[in-house]
Order: sequence, then structure tokens, then C-alpha cells
Amino acid sequence: MSSNDAMPGVPDTPDRAQLDAMVDAEQADPRAELEDVDFSTELGVAMAEDAKAVSRGEITSEEYWQRYDDLAAEEFGEVYHETPNPAVDHDTAQTIEDDVAESLSCTVGSMASIAESLEEPAGDSEGASEDGEDDDHRWGMVIDLQKCVGCDSCSVACKAENRTPPGVSYNVVMEEEHGEFPNVQRTNVPRPCMQCENPPCVQVCPVSATYKMDNGVVNVDYDRCIGCRYCMIACPYGARYFDFGENYDDEVEGAGEITSPEYGVDRGEREPKKSPVGNVRKCHFCHHRLNRGEEPACVETCVGDARNMGDLDDPDSEVAEMAASTRAMQLKEGEGTDPNVYYLE
Amino acid sequence: MATDSKQFDFGFRNGRLRVAWYALLAVLLLVGGYAMWLRLQGGMRSTNLTSITPWGAWVAFYIYFVGLSAGAFLVSTLANVFGIERLHRVDRDALFAAIVSMVVALLFVWTDLGRMDRMWHPFAWRQVTSALSWEVHAYVAYIFVLMTELYFSMRYDLARVAERGTGLRARLAGLLTLGRRQLTDESREADRTWLKRAGIVGIPLAIFMVHGGTGVLFAVSKARPYWNSGLFPVIFIISAVLSGTALVMLLYVLRTRLFDGERVDRDILDRLATLLAAFVVVDVALTAIEALIAIVSLHPHEVETWRLILFGEMSWSFWWFMVGMGWVFPLVLVSKREWRRTPWLMAVAGLSVVIGIIAVRFNIVVPPQIRPVMEGLPHGSYFPSAVEWATSVGMMAVGLLLYTIGAELLPLTPLDGGDH
Repeated sequence: MSSNDAMPGVPDTPDRAQLDAMVDAEQADPRAELEDVDFSTELGVAMAEDAKAVSRGEITSEEYWQRYDDLAAEEFGEVYHETPNPAVDHDTAQTIEDDVAESLSCTVGSMASIAESLEEPAGDSEGASEDGEDDDHRWGMVIDLQKCVGCDSCSVACKAENRTPPGVSYNVVMEEEHGEFPNVQRTNVPRPCMQCENPPCVQVCPVSATYKMDNGVVNVDYDRCIGCRYCMIACPYGARYFDFGENYDDEVEGAGEITSPEYGVDRGEREPKKSPVGNVRKCHFCHHRLNRGEEPACVETCVGDARNMGDLDDPDSEVAEMAASTRAMQLKEGEGTDPNVYYLE
Repeated sequence: MATDSKQFDFGFRNGRLRVAWYALLAVLLLVGGYAMWLRLQGGMRSTNLTSITPWGAWVAFYIYFVGLSAGAFLVSTLANVFGIERLHRVDRDALFAAIVSMVVALLFVWTDLGRMDRMWHPFAWRQVTSALSWEVHAYVAYIFVLMTELYFSMRYDLARVAERGTGLRARLAGLLTLGRRQLTDESREADRTWLKRAGIVGIPLAIFMVHGGTGVLFAVSKARPYWNSGLFPVIFIISAVLSGTALVMLLYVLRTRLFDGERVDRDILDRLATLLAAFVVVDVALTAIEALIAIVSLHPHEVETWRLILFGEMSWSFWWFMVGMGWVFPLVLVSKREWRRTPWLMAVAGLSVVIGIIAVRFNIVVPPQIRPVMEGLPHGSYFPSAVEWATSVGMMAVGLLLYTIGAELLPLTPLDGGDH
């Protein structure tokens, strides 16, 4: 099965027939399964076969239900009518009970309505929610320091996601060792932008290029920023970085070909003297991902699940609850900046 | 009142000195121009700045020249607002130097922008809470006041040059009178009144908005405790006045000797030197108070920053330049009455302070950006790159060129010797 030049430690891929045989071996016999229940085996098998035909596109969903709705009603009796069928009962609002939905943190509604609501934020991301105007969230992050192992994968994920150039790192992990051997302790404090409620950077910008959006994220308008770096002087967290125009060209071929659509603006290829080169940059909670309904890259990647993202204005949200806990603290609370990034000690 | 034609020729007395001086400026401008080309091509990468130390030499020189300008202007007001008659002779010189310094300051701050092409943005978009936003506007207003002052101070002599002088000087003077060519005593009185009025507007503008404001720009940075003190803008103003006085004294000696070919007025020199001594003492005292408060606060950032200034790898700039050339050496030179009346010694004292204050500005800007704002972030380390030094030299050469051309073409020394 294996050839000599196979990569050590990497298993060979079996051929197709072998794979199919493996699947067949695992597959339960439908007839045997259905015979275990009180209802008609023949009807079950026939519905299953035709359901496959629907998914292959050989018959339509409507034809399928024309064929089986009455038969199924006859077979299952009252129970069939009590169970909503999203494919038939378009007007039925939901398919599962409210409390079940909540325990699973599912969105409730018919398939069609949920699909619609999912499309909305994505489709609108360039318009209304760019300013966060339609957004009644206040995005906040809670980082559990007891779960942080200091692996720096958040910094790596951030670099990959935002395609930041050398010298620019929206997220860093501040690592410190205390004590003397052998009684050494190590603290790891990941440091994104705090998205302060009272941001000193916004206060000092002479051209209002950096400003706070309604959803709590501090924006940098790369088309307006003059690169005076006053905000970097004012930031008590060192969270701002100047884009000196350096590139990873020596390390990666075509390093600047793809850029991240920061703040919902796609700027195309990275070029010298084109913004954001010559501007100040910082973490924006992966605003473009938030707009798509995704978590920031650092949150998604965190191996210890130490990072949490959510709406601080929603008292029932996980982050709001964590931020209210006795373990919660903010960096440099005395500065009066009131960060929207909380840490759990 | 002598009005021989020689009096309308204000240029260098010595032709060979003129050639040498312009040749030197040309070399400096070429070097600076090449460096500026490198800066434009390479962007901010041509500097040694980092995200830990985002402000460096250009910012230090920018506040240095703002200070020099504010200081020179305040010296000029001693004559035309506070009526110290003796100093009338240096009044225009001080004003013109103030304008040129301001131009150089703006050149520096422009070069420092990450996006130089967006220099007009602060006039299109503003931020009321930003000191920098206010400053930009104050600078423009200030330059306007300075030009107004210089105009009223010089108009009468411009009209005389236009009438009795010859060549380029006369034509330029005619243009600069803006059509007011009367040589009557009433017109001269009107000039003096307006000069005083503009000076009264200009004094608070220079003290509180231009230079105090530049100090505020730093002092509001709570993230940098070293700057974040109420005394800080005051020290800014005092060191500005100190450097301005020194510059005016230096220019007075040099120009009287090299351009006017006259004897230096010992009384003026004595007065300027006494002022200089007073400002040095105040500057030293306030800086000591500031340092004491900072160190006794035991705030780690403050203590660390002062330790860096006093004993760090750049402490030579503090001890040799700031303390030595800025304070001790000039104080020694002005300590004896006889020395205060010796022109070349006072020129040296002035030059020494003018150079020393550069170190003051560097020690304001750089040290608090070395220790990171948060433990665990990397430490900074900064010394200007060759491009930063060379562009700085070039921009200063632009200032020197502007000043020299002005001194050659304009009646910066009152034509009746300043005594009226």
C-alpha cells in the first residue's frame, strides 16, 4: 500500500473502492433498523429512498410530500400532526421548543426565516453596519488569564487574518516571569486593542481619523489619517502600531497580494505609499469578521478557549456575565479609559 | 540722520564672506535635499523610529523651532509693547527670526507626517479635544500676527528704501509697503500704534497657544507620566524664551558686525545678557522642581525615565549639552559685567544656549518613549538615522538661507539706528 517516498508519519490515502467498502461496513441496514419500531418498515424505506431522490434533484420536495403526507399521517396518527414539518408548514414559526433552543443556543424560527436573517448582516456589511449604526451591540472581549497558556497562537492567527506587515502586531501576549528558580511563576497577558469606552487616542487625533463606533469598536479611517502618531503617544496600552511600509517579501512570495478588508473596506493589493502604509493601525476586533457573524480570529483560534467575544450590553450574554464576575478586571483601570476588554484573574 | 546710499545696502560687508556663507548653505541644502529625497522615496522606513518610539528627532526639532520662534517674538515685544527703548534695535531682527523659525518648525512637522500628502487634512477635519488640532490653527494665526508686526515695524523704512534705494532692494521694499509709502510722522505713529496692538494679540497667542499649547500637547498624554504634569507647559515656555533671547543676542552681534559694520551697542548686549541669565536660572529651577516631584512620586515610569535621562546611554546629551552648554557655560560667561559687554563672548554664550536647548528638546521627546507603556512590551531604543540628521540639517539650512536673504534685502536694522 505504501510507496517508499511516502512522508513519514503521514498515512497513505486508501483507494476509492476501499473507502466505499469501509463506509458500507459501517452503514446500518435500514430494513433491520426500521423493523425494530412499531411503524411500517416498507413506508420508511420508501420515504428514505425518495428523500435521496429529492436530494439528487430527481423529484421535487412538493412531489415528495404529495406522495407521502397522507400516508405518513395515516401511519403516525395524531403525533404526525402535532410535530411541525418545516418543509410543509411554511407558516409554522418554529421547529423546536423555546427552552430547548436556548439550551442549545440555537436561533429559533422556520428554516426559511433563519436563512433570511443570516443573509442580512452579511449582505449589508459594506453599508449600514460599517459604521456600526445598525448595530445595537457593544462588542467586548473577556480573556480568562487562568486558561491562557501563553502559546501566542492568538498573535499568529491575528497576523494571518489581518495580514499585518512586519512591526505591526494587533495582538501580542505580554509574558512575564516572577520569582526565582525553582519558585517561578509566569503570567501571560494577551493584549489586543482595549476598544476603550473613553479612548485617549480618539481624544488626541487632530483630524478625527480615529473614532468610536456605536458598536464599541474604535475605528481608524485610513483615508483620513495623516500619520502624525499622536494616538500612539496617547495610548496607555501600546496597542497602536505605525505601518512603516515594510513587507514580508523576503519570507513569503506575493506577501502583499491579499489584504484584510479592515473596517469593511477592501483596499486591494498592498502597495508602497498607499494607505494603510504611513498610517497608524491597531486591532479592530476583526470587525470584518464580526460583520459576517464570525468571532475574531484570536478568539476562534485560542487553544485554551481563554478568549470570549460577545455583547457587553446584553446582560444575559456570556461575556457580560464574565465581565461582571469578581474575577474580572481591566488593564490600567486608573487611567479612566474603561476598556471593553476584560480579564479574569 | 544720515541717509547716505551706503545705509541702504544692508548685505554682507565682506564679499568673500558672503560667497563662503552661501557656498556652505548650498552644500548643506544639497545634503539635506538628497536626504529628503531618500525620505520621500523610502517613507518613514528611512527613520530609526519604531512603534515603541514613534516620535524622534523631527518632533524634537519641531518643538525646538517653535520655542525659538516664540522666544524671539517675546524678546521683540520687550521693545515694541513694553517700551524698552534700547531693544528697538533688535526688534525686527527678532520678529524676522521668529517667522523663519516658525517656517522651519512647520517644515519639520510636515516631514514627520506618515502621509505628507495629507498635510491639509487638519484644516478640513478637526477634533476639539485634540491639542494638536488647535496647535495647527494657532501656528497659522501666529505666523500671520508675526508678519503683521514685522510689516508695521518695518513699513516706514521700507518706504524710505523704496524711495531712495536702488535695484532689487528698492523694488522689493516698494512691494512690501503694500502701497503705504507715506513718510509722514502721522503714518509712523499709526504704524507704532498698530505694531503695539498686534503685539498685544501676539503675546498671549505666542505664550499660551503656540508654545504653551505645544507643551500642553505633550502634557495631556496621561499615558506618559513624565510629560503629564502642570508644570510641563510652563517649562516649555521658559526654555523657549531662553533660547529666543540667546538667538536674538547671537544674531545681533553677528549682524551688527558682519552686515552693518557698526560697533555693537554694549548696553543692549548687557541687557540681553542679563535677561539670558535670569531665564537660565528660572529654567534650571523649574526643571529641578519638575524632576524632584517626578522622582519623589516614586511612580515607576517617572523614576525610570529620569534615571534614563541622568544615567542612561544618552545621558551625555543631558550633562554636556543641556546642563553644560544650555545652562552652566552661558551662566559663567554672563557672570561678569565686563564679559557681558564683550560681543564675541556673548555671541558664544548665545550660540551655546541655542545648541544646548536642542538637547533640552530631545530630552523632552525621547526618554519617555524608551520604557514601554506596559510591562511586558518591548523596550525602545532610539538614535536618529543618517537620513533624519541630514534632513534636519537641510531644513535648518533652509531657515538660515531664508534669514540671510531677508537680512540682505530687508531693513532689519532700523535705518536711524533705533534711537528715536
